[in-house]
Amino acid sequence: MTTLITGGSKCGKSSFAEKMLNDFRGRKIYIATMQPFGEDAFEAIERHRKMRVGKGFETIEKYTDIHEISLDNSCAVLLECIGNLCANEMFSGGTVNAPADKIVSGIKRLADSVSELIIVTNQVGSDGVTYADGTADYIRVLGSINRNIAGFADNVIECVYGIPVLLKGELPC
Amino acid sequence: MIMVTGGAFQGKTAYTMRKFGLAESDITDGADASFEKLKTARCITNYHLLVKRLGDDCIGFTEELCRTNPEAVIIIDEIGCGIVPVEKSERIWRENVGRCGCIIAANSEKVLRIVCGIPAIIKGENE
Repeated sequence: MTTLITGGSKCGKSSFAEKMLNDFRGRKIYIATMQPFGEDAFEAIERHRKMRVGKGFETIEKYTDIHEISLDNSCAVLLECIGNLCANEMFSGGTVNAPADKIVSGIKRLADSVSELIIVTNQVGSDGVTYADGTADYIRVLGSINRNIAGFADNVIECVYGIPVLLKGELPC
Repeated sequence: MIMVTGGAFQGKTAYTMRKFGLAESDITDGADASFEKLKTARCITNYHLLVKRLGDDCIGFTEELCRTNPEAVIIIDEIGCGIVPVEKSERIWRENVGRCGCIIAANSEKVLRIVCGIPAIIKGENE
């Protein structure tokens, strides 16, 4: 089962995603895509670590190249988040020609191999601001990734101030 | 407690007044009313702007409000669905609005999201 969870800043996406795996009895893997650069990132990483304490997650830090992760169907995976993964693929060093295709195919591969995949992403296109090219490209690419993952996901949920709003499939909890 | 959210200028206040039979005098504006007045308000609008005024005190204020004024109607814009702001104070405000909104939603028996003046019930029973 693959579930995509989207929403804005601090809308309770992570809490909801973790709650979905509360009853899973196999290996629980947390794939962290945020790079620990800058004070804000450190704070966010620390906060999310504290939230996961005692919930039995193994953490894999993977900032790019999600397709390189090999896990089998004994695992449930929480991948957080596509917003950071997309920024990492687009802006840190190397030149990826088609980041959306690369990310979507990497995630599809993961979805096909594990027992449960929960993907956390972001809504970034609704502030009505016209941005310079780099940021505008990022909004476009992330929108495309979200649409493509939503296409193959069983469930798509938007979190609004902590409340899950069902967009596709069914509410798992 | 009842929470009404949605984007800016979607008709949240007009809908809330009609739906819950509120008068202008029942509405207290989070943007500029005194904190004392807000604590006992029947209905608070612009809660996202109140969060900005409260700064670091926003979580404590919101938790206390949920305890001491559980019949209040809270109107709050959805502001988190964009690019992370460059300015640090804007980032903190945006995150605080998310956190306070989650507290209010968790304490509300009903949450409505208004788009183009039309409500969707995202928490609680339809009547």
